[in-house]
Amino acid sequence: MSRVGRWAFATLGSAVLLGVLAAASGPMWPHHADGHSWLRLSWGARPERIEVCRTLSEAELADRPEHMRQRVQCDGATASYQLLVRVDDSVLDARVLRGGGLRHDRPMHLLTDLQVKPGQRRVVVTLTRREADKEDENDSDDAVAISADTGIFAGRAEREREERKRQRRAAIPAALRLDTVVTFAPRQVQLITFDAESQQLRLESRGGGR
Amino acid sequence: MAATDLPSRRILRALDAGFTRIYGWRHNPLHQSGTLAVAMLLLLLATGLYLVLFYRVGAPSASVAALARDPWLGSWIRSLHRYASDLFVIAVVVHAVRMFAQRRSWGTRRLAWVSGLFLLGIGLMAAWTGFVMAWDSFGSRLAVEGARVLDALPFFSEPLSRIFSGEAPVPNAFFFVNLFLHIALPLGVGAGLWLHVSRLARPVLLPPRVVVWTTVGALTLLAILIPAPLGPAADPLVVVESTPLNLVTAWWLPLSEQLSPGQIWGSVVTLGLLLVMVPRWTRPKNRVGLDAPSVVDPRLCTGCNQCPQDCPWEAITMVERSDGRPTLLAQVDPTRCVSCGICAGSCAPMGIGPPGRSGRDQLATLRADGELVFTDSSLPSDGGAVVVICCSQIPASHRNALTQRGATVREVSCVGNLHSSVVELSIRRGATGVLVMGCPPRDCLGREGPKWLNERLFNEREAELQARVDRARVHTGTAAPGDLAGTLATFEKFKDSLTNVAMPRVDAVDDLELICDPVPFEDSTG
Repeated sequence: MSRVGRWAFATLGSAVLLGVLAAASGPMWPHHADGHSWLRLSWGARPERIEVCRTLSEAELADRPEHMRQRVQCDGATASYQLLVRVDDSVLDARVLRGGGLRHDRPMHLLTDLQVKPGQRRVVVTLTRREADKEDENDSDDAVAISADTGIFAGRAEREREERKRQRRAAIPAALRLDTVVTFAPRQVQLITFDAESQQLRLESRGGGR
Repeated sequence: MAATDLPSRRILRALDAGFTRIYGWRHNPLHQSGTLAVAMLLLLLATGLYLVLFYRVGAPSASVAALARDPWLGSWIRSLHRYASDLFVIAVVVHAVRMFAQRRSWGTRRLAWVSGLFLLGIGLMAAWTGFVMAWDSFGSRLAVEGARVLDALPFFSEPLSRIFSGEAPVPNAFFFVNLFLHIALPLGVGAGLWLHVSRLARPVLLPPRVVVWTTVGALTLLAILIPAPLGPAADPLVVVESTPLNLVTAWWLPLSEQLSPGQIWGSVVTLGLLLVMVPRWTRPKNRVGLDAPSVVDPRLCTGCNQCPQDCPWEAITMVERSDGRPTLLAQVDPTRCVSCGICAGSCAPMGIGPPGRSGRDQLATLRADGELVFTDSSLPSDGGAVVVICCSQIPASHRNALTQRGATVREVSCVGNLHSSVVELSIRRGATGVLVMGCPPRDCLGREGPKWLNERLFNEREAELQARVDRARVHTGTAAPGDLAGTLATFEKFKDSLTNVAMPRVDAVDDLELICDPVPFEDSTG
């Protein structure tokens, strides 16, 4: 083959290789070609503690080192929740949600995408605690004796009380329900999340599909 | 040889032949795959340094879109970066396939094989983070899939996937970590590359300049003419009908999206283990024949220190002798020796080499081969008794064609294994000329065979061809699959050149004067 022929051959070969490289670099590939809409449920919240609390007696407290004298002792477990998602008359999702971690005492996270046909739909989402409340033996914070709180431990009973209240406020409510009518556009995601401030499930939607 | 019969080897040879026909063996990109990957890595660093100046963690998709819109520099540098990353991955994969097909992953090369897999993995991860940086529909798809897979690991207190749920904007911290990974991972490639070549004596890291600049030029042209695609900015609350998909670095994405994280991890771990085990499967069961490691004959070793210098694998060291002689003794580490036989060609007294392939073995074989005794009466009618010594890797079609043209073809495992005394003896026994045909230098299984051959025959490197041999009667050439015409042209040209060379009479006595007379073992030990 002549030098010119070889050059032409090499140039043509290179052009083909570059064409293949360009073609492989970013062809459009189907992702959600079916035109469905999606209902996304996503939240993270702390599950409730179902506990039995009792106030320790002065004698019991005296038996413990001073730094371990927690006035109210609670035993129990972390709650689990039943999730039910209905779109129109069909149940799209039904499952039990638990907190994270081996003991399920960590925050409870949910992220799920449910396929929905486009159009106007009635969406009902309920989240219900599965365990019943337990009756505390002595849940009266006022009954806590504070006479032993001295020195650096002064005001500890009050702090413990505030902490228990804060934990109760931070936990997801025992029953949540969202009942709404949503218009699903093709390839649009309707997001349902938990608003920790208002302690309610909330629908967030935006724009149409592409 | 058994290795040449493997289907993978035949396929590779056919591909090599095809590319040699297009580019010639000097510029065959398949022969340069490893070094081309390094060149692409450097190109990625250069273009990446420019791109990172304009990347904003707070507005990833907007900043990349602005780069893509810039017609002067941004657009084509971004595209060049993308195409270079694709070519990097392709080059690494081709390099790995070559090493597998040529059974070049066992023994001391196992480290290179495993570190090469590591480099490929890092390269793919760097590409992954690069696509996520752009935060277009494809980058978002990759990020979501990556988070889904990582969430299966019990490391994260909160599922990573929720970052992309749309509850809140994707935090800047995510893009910062992603940018950090995209910069840090190539640094890992640098460290991996060092490990990859750490057992080579003289690693060649870059292809010939013409290949480098032609490749960079071609990719630049491609980047200007066909900019790399960029999808619409990612929106977690909108699912797109289709996204651009890079089939080179993210071909697995449509597949993985159909699998559970457990299946993905299982597949990755299984595939990884299978690949890591390749050296074990391809290693010779017994180190015999062509796979036998070199051995040293202590009676012949003069301690000249040449074989350690020539060994491409640093498998030979010089140690103190135990027999009282005042010189050092070459010692072969069989775990590092890959039996290339190059040491045999480096040893003037012929005291080292794989069993059956030392200089002395080569001479003995030649002497036993009556066909090569040319007398005046047995010379071919055209007077052209040319001996062609071929590397065993050269295709049979080339050898047959040379035989048909009157050449006496002999075979050697690698031209680097050939001892220069064989060339001299061939001429003494009546050959009008000796042509040594090796593989393309960048495709030598012994790595440095053609280089050391030329140095020994023409540049007086030990064990050099003796000065008494007329250099006009000795020539070297390259016989590449796909270039039979080139092989035959080299032969014909050499044969023609011999017509002007004065031919001495055939030397009846073919005993060679060795450069160093070996000290008899018995004498040295008393």
